[in-house]
Amino acid sequence: MKPRVGIFGLSGCFGDQIVILNCEDELLALVGQVEFPDFRLASSVNDTTGPLDIAFVEGSVGTAREEAALRRIRERAGLLVAIGSCACFGGVQAAFGGPVREAAAEAIYGPTLAAYDRQEHRPLRDFVRVDAALPGCPMEKEEFLRAVSCLLNGDMPQPVTYPVCAECRMKEQECLLLAYGIHCSGPVTAGGCGARCPGHNSPCIGCRGPADDANVASMEAIITKAGYTVEDFRRRQRLFAASNGHGEHRT
Amino acid sequence: MTRTIAVDHLARIEGHAGITVTLDGDRIEHVHFDIFEGLRLFEGLVRGRPVVEVAGIVSRICAICSHNHALTALLALERALGMTASPQTERLRELACHGTQIESHALHVFCLALPDLLRHASVIELAAVAPETVATALRLKKLGNTIQEVIGGRAVHPVSYAIGGFSRLPTPVELTTLRDALEAGLEDCERAVKAVEGVAVPAFAAESIRCAAVVPRSGSWFFGDAVHLQNGRTIPVEDYRTLTNERAVPHSTARHSSVDGEPYMVGALPRLTLNGAGLDGRARDAWNRLGPTVPCRNVVMNDIAQLVEIVYSVEQALRIVNEMLEHGLTPEPRRKYDARPGRGAAVSEAPRGLLFHSYEIDAQGRIAAADVITPTAQNCAHVEEQFRAAVRREPDAADDDLRHRLEIIARAYDPCVSCSVHVIRTGRT
Repeated sequence: MKPRVGIFGLSGCFGDQIVILNCEDELLALVGQVEFPDFRLASSVNDTTGPLDIAFVEGSVGTAREEAALRRIRERAGLLVAIGSCACFGGVQAAFGGPVREAAAEAIYGPTLAAYDRQEHRPLRDFVRVDAALPGCPMEKEEFLRAVSCLLNGDMPQPVTYPVCAECRMKEQECLLLAYGIHCSGPVTAGGCGARCPGHNSPCIGCRGPADDANVASMEAIITKAGYTVEDFRRRQRLFAASNGHGEHRT
Repeated sequence: MTRTIAVDHLARIEGHAGITVTLDGDRIEHVHFDIFEGLRLFEGLVRGRPVVEVAGIVSRICAICSHNHALTALLALERALGMTASPQTERLRELACHGTQIESHALHVFCLALPDLLRHASVIELAAVAPETVATALRLKKLGNTIQEVIGGRAVHPVSYAIGGFSRLPTPVELTTLRDALEAGLEDCERAVKAVEGVAVPAFAAESIRCAAVVPRSGSWFFGDAVHLQNGRTIPVEDYRTLTNERAVPHSTARHSSVDGEPYMVGALPRLTLNGAGLDGRARDAWNRLGPTVPCRNVVMNDIAQLVEIVYSVEQALRIVNEMLEHGLTPEPRRKYDARPGRGAAVSEAPRGLLFHSYEIDAQGRIAAADVITPTAQNCAHVEEQFRAAVRREPDAADDDLRHRLEIIARAYDPCVSCSVHVIRTGRT
């Protein structure tokens, strides 16, 4: 029997499901290897209660409805994989909270706000056990395909532990931070993207979340020397990964 | 007796939405296009951040039209900073939008909408009976992505767009590869049109459609400084609020738009209705073969209009790439700007219709206020109007039939719910 794979989206931009659909060359082969009994973006007939071997879930939890949906997915799934930085860390919608967020919501929706189901956006692991995580905004296509191959063969996909900076150096790209004083988050961000942004002369903005063993103190020193404030740095770190970024570090 | 027709969670759309229609006998009590996507509040995210960070943040409103969000934001910011982009930059941005349009429409027409018209549950089912059609669609979708990757650096959430230009220009080799892919794409367009030719497009509501689209500047399909309506009224982009007039409603976290108190529609069908006179080549031919008589009274024809736009975009993209290969791209430094206070609004045509971005910048070059109005948010009220018309036309139809019709109507707009609840706005803009 083919493995049963479910694909789900909570709050977010649907980018990780779009990345899955963007595997145009591999999609038909994938359909031959696994079944997709529950994939609402693709199909209007879904088995919404049956067991799943693997559930891929993108997006953060931002409503009570989503929290309940996530718990139901967890009960059905052998393995639950968080895809994309919203599912892994909360994503951009989790970058600010508290009274500032309330005031912004109030200004937009006025008295109608009270009618909405809403809570602060949080990552999946705050609610359920997450077996593997594929961060990135969006996750890289190759990373997804590699993870699927691993899982179909009984292996767990391994997280990337080295930073974007390492990949950038291996490509011998000029350092935007040291050579031009541009606020590049490559040294403190998990790699796996092939240093895509610096490769396009754009600074890394930290979309893959914090790298293991990042030297935050040294990074803050370099950043302030380049004319930015520590708050600029922390704010950047909170952008995609407020739930465990370096943004909260020492604040 | 009260009767409720409900779709709890509409499938084959991007985002979380449902449909509720309540009838008392033949009388329609209420019609809701329910949107229960969580609020993401991008306004709070961009406020206080330096202008250079904005495009990379607002692209995250929506994956499928991330390039449109980034580029429309840049236009608005450039206006606020009192600068303009070079003709080469404008041309590259136009090309990127053709890529988005091909990708987005190929996904919607073949993977999300066509299964409805051919009575399949999914494109996976469709692939079992019409593998060639699905393979053609996937090749076109990939072509759109390739354009976005070459110009923007990534298909979802571009990385090379900047205020005043590009952080990296495509190389001649990349452009040559793109040209070859586009030439092959022309043949796929022909296959795609043939695959859809003869497919019956159902009409469930014969209501006239109030269309709105950009007044395109010369040589562009996507960009301009004003929008126009079917009745001939033109609204300059600075006054976009008189068009959109958003208001919050309890059953939807996307706010509703109306002009002069009436809902309106944006997207491929309104674009071809208002701006289609200039179509030529294969796109003209496809529109003549498959398109409706204009003005069209059937929103489901939006699926056909999208297919025609795929053809148009492949032809136009090829024209632009050939031009660039002939004249070469000039390595232009990004245009410089000084941080200064100002405000600017911009409009463009995203695949699903009019997209507005507006920003106010403070003296330190940081965002003081922001406003984004997406196509799906504008269409929400129009979707409900069409639901109402479809139910009114045949209130005695069986529940399952009505539900199926309402789903097809909703999907025809290609709703992007993630976009619709983006929600950026402060009182100041």
